[in-house]
Amino acid sequence: MANRTSAAQRPNGSTQGKICQFKLVLLGESAVGKSSLVLRFVKGQFHEYQESTIGAAFLTQTVCLDDTTVKFEIWDTAGQERYHSLAPMYYRGAQAAIVVYDITNQDTFARAKTWVKELQRQASPNIVIALAGNKQDLANKRMVEYEEAQAHAEENGLLFMETSAKTAMNVNDIFLAIAKKLPKNEQTTGPGGSGQGRRLVEGDSGAKAAGNCCK
Amino acid sequence: MEDNHEEVLEIFCQDGVQILTAPAAYISQLNNVGTLMIVEYPNSNVTRCIEWKPIDLTIDSDVQDQEWTVVSTVRRRRTYSGSLPVDANRSKHLKINMSDIKSFRVARKNQKLTFRDGKGDDLCTFVFQHGSCEGLVAVLKGILKTFVSRRDKHVYCILDDERNPERQQLDKSFAELNLFQEQSSPYVWKLVKNFQNRPYETTMEAFSKITDIVYRGAEHRLMDPEVHNILHRSLEAIENNTTTHSHEEYEVIAHVPKLPALKEYPRGRPLSLEQWKALQDSEGQVEDVDAVKLVIFRGGIASNVRKEVWKYLLDYHRWKYTHSEQANLIKQRNEEYFIMKLQWRSMTKIQEDNFTDYRERKSLIEKDVNRTDRTLDYFAGDNNPNLQVLYDILMTYAMYNFDLGYVQGMSDLLSPILYLMNNEVEAFWCFVGFMNKVSSNFDMDQAGMKEQLQHLNTLTAFYDPEFANYLYKHDSANMFFCFRWLLVWFKRELSQQDAMRLWEVLWTDLPCQNFHLLICVAILDTEKHILMENNYGFTEILKHINDLSGNIDVSAVIGKAEGMYNQIVDAEHLTDAVRIIIGLPILGNASVIDSKEASPDISDLTLNGDTDEVSYENALTNSFL
Ligand SMILES: Nc1nc2c(ncn2[C@@H]2O[C@H](COP(=O)(O)OP(=O)(O)OP(=O)(O)O)[C@@H](O)[C@H]2O)c(=O)[nH]1
Ligand SMILES: [Mg+2]
Repeated sequence: MANRTSAAQRPNGSTQGKICQFKLVLLGESAVGKSSLVLRFVKGQFHEYQESTIGAAFLTQTVCLDDTTVKFEIWDTAGQERYHSLAPMYYRGAQAAIVVYDITNQDTFARAKTWVKELQRQASPNIVIALAGNKQDLANKRMVEYEEAQAHAEENGLLFMETSAKTAMNVNDIFLAIAKKLPKNEQTTGPGGSGQGRRLVEGDSGAKAAGNCCK
Repeated sequence: MEDNHEEVLEIFCQDGVQILTAPAAYISQLNNVGTLMIVEYPNSNVTRCIEWKPIDLTIDSDVQDQEWTVVSTVRRRRTYSGSLPVDANRSKHLKINMSDIKSFRVARKNQKLTFRDGKGDDLCTFVFQHGSCEGLVAVLKGILKTFVSRRDKHVYCILDDERNPERQQLDKSFAELNLFQEQSSPYVWKLVKNFQNRPYETTMEAFSKITDIVYRGAEHRLMDPEVHNILHRSLEAIENNTTTHSHEEYEVIAHVPKLPALKEYPRGRPLSLEQWKALQDSEGQVEDVDAVKLVIFRGGIASNVRKEVWKYLLDYHRWKYTHSEQANLIKQRNEEYFIMKLQWRSMTKIQEDNFTDYRERKSLIEKDVNRTDRTLDYFAGDNNPNLQVLYDILMTYAMYNFDLGYVQGMSDLLSPILYLMNNEVEAFWCFVGFMNKVSSNFDMDQAGMKEQLQHLNTLTAFYDPEFANYLYKHDSANMFFCFRWLLVWFKRELSQQDAMRLWEVLWTDLPCQNFHLLICVAILDTEKHILMENNYGFTEILKHINDLSGNIDVSAVIGKAEGMYNQIVDAEHLTDAVRIIIGLPILGNASVIDSKEASPDISDLTLNGDTDEVSYENALTNSFL
């Protein structure tokens, strides 16, 4: 695992530090690799013939960041336009989103931009959005230039990385970058506490799953 | 500059809203399309407004963006800076103080909404070009005290208005009782009316609130005699089988009518080749179709005759046709297929470049064919010729039914059919037959799926009010965790063989229509203990349900669902709402008509009864926050 956790590595995930829980949603055109990114991040696997997602899938993964344990509650959605109307249900209240496109397909990048726009208009105000240009291993078939996507990300204040669920490149990194950017204090804004991580009590079940990074 | 900052809280926002009528000052904006918002100004004395602004071309010129109707109920905070050309922009904004609105009327199947003032005059009318005003109505109901006018069921009156004549009656009843802090008076009203008409069918959620009123009301509150009467009579009407269990802050005393005992039905033997031959006459006609279906329902179809019988179940062959008639039909279907296939095969590159819809469809099919059941031998490996057939059938289907086109999930429905038929034309026509049964699953607006989820909620509430109540309390009454089950008929949960066994049972339409919903109820009944004991919320429930994939015993589930069906039809308190779902003749009591009257907002989904509808709506709004 390429997690770059520094100082606060502790055995068994037991920690005196903070534990934060964040809701993260993956959005993007069908077949860009949303489920594959999650599968890589959560289970370290890649399936060439990953089935399309129907409805939504829910997974969790925990990472350690300095003295904080961050538990991601990940919603993986179905990408096809027909299921667009379900998306607000899943991004509502999310503190982070990864909008994914496929670097070999210009249309998926256009769709990613409109997802970003929708999130900025409709999702929680402080949502941390990351743009992931996936299938970086197919760079020889590239249709979306790195610079173009990066410029878009900069203009819109997004985190940006090119990733590959297949080779695992930047997969953990993008989740970690999000974890770093998420506010980890306890104050909440507005109803539902959107925008902030829920801090769990010491010894809460959230801490048990901290196996991935604290090896 | 700082001083000019005006804090604005956007409570609601919807695009694609046209102004049909408006106050004279906004005449230039009539018929324009824009964004409708509910906005709060916390620092001003005019705290809440309905606002509309035309599409801002600098932001919204993107065509795709206008196509979406995204409804947000998330509060957003933003500030307008005084240094920007705000005034120029804002003068185009139509703005109506919420306090001026005394009622609103919903019309044209939720496409049109009119706000009215205290004199009953129209303030402004909006047309919701994409989607509907349901989201807006839900939010309005959340922030205002509203109730449905007795004179016009499409009119919602706003309670805060002293002068409203309809208020006085209600003043004495629910509003003043102040039982429901969440400002849900229309809910209470619906609930009680519903309860009066259909006490049994009301969900446990309803029970707990009603009993809450009864108990707390009796101790501490004055209760309107009329309300008291309704409640009293309703409760009295219920049998004396009372169960008690404690719940968080208060005791819930619920009267749960008993269903007859569950009797599970063992599966029978599959329809054999010999039986099938015996059921056909010398001309090949099947005399007793019901008998065939009954055998299939009981035990499925033996694998050596399955291919043949599926063609009948899926309307490719006709039960009553003679051999020669059948042969004719087959020939005709064959030609038809190749004509349609040729239509897309002969598409030139230029045609394709100029045909976005087609291109998108093609690309979706390509993507999905590539990842459909690739772990099965039949579709495994690169350049597997069966993938090409799968692709060709789906492309041809997209030409056959261009309105529906291709939607994710369809390749899952085709895969077992193609595997069994192992013939392109036969598989196509059988797939058409299956799609005819389930096409509403793929509706653009998800209406078919929503309706099924709601029906499932109604059935669960009837079969197991306690569990329904649990789901309600855990933001899961929307039943969305069953989405995948319903969309592709358990294809993702079962092995291919088991999916085939289940499908052929469901295609018989025995013992009732919508039996697949009872399959859901049966599986949920097996899982509910785990869900409830672990106090799972929506996310955990969804995860648990998704993870059941591969662990469902299909024979046991079918047998159990049949038993449940019998329990339900034998129940003395069987309601019309349930009768409609399972296709029994309704008794025509007041409940169905009543539910229609009380819910102008979702008029196309009224047959399920108010309570479920309300809880469904609430759950939709409450979930995921
Ligand atoms: N070469 C390559 N292929 C990938 C990568 N990520 C995903 N894929 C492939 O792309 C296809 C689609 O991946 P999914 O993860 O199912 O895509 P999705 O975005 O979840 O799609 P939906 O569920 O339909 O919305 C699969 O065949 C994957 O194997 C990657 O980084 N590189
Ligand atoms: Mg997916």
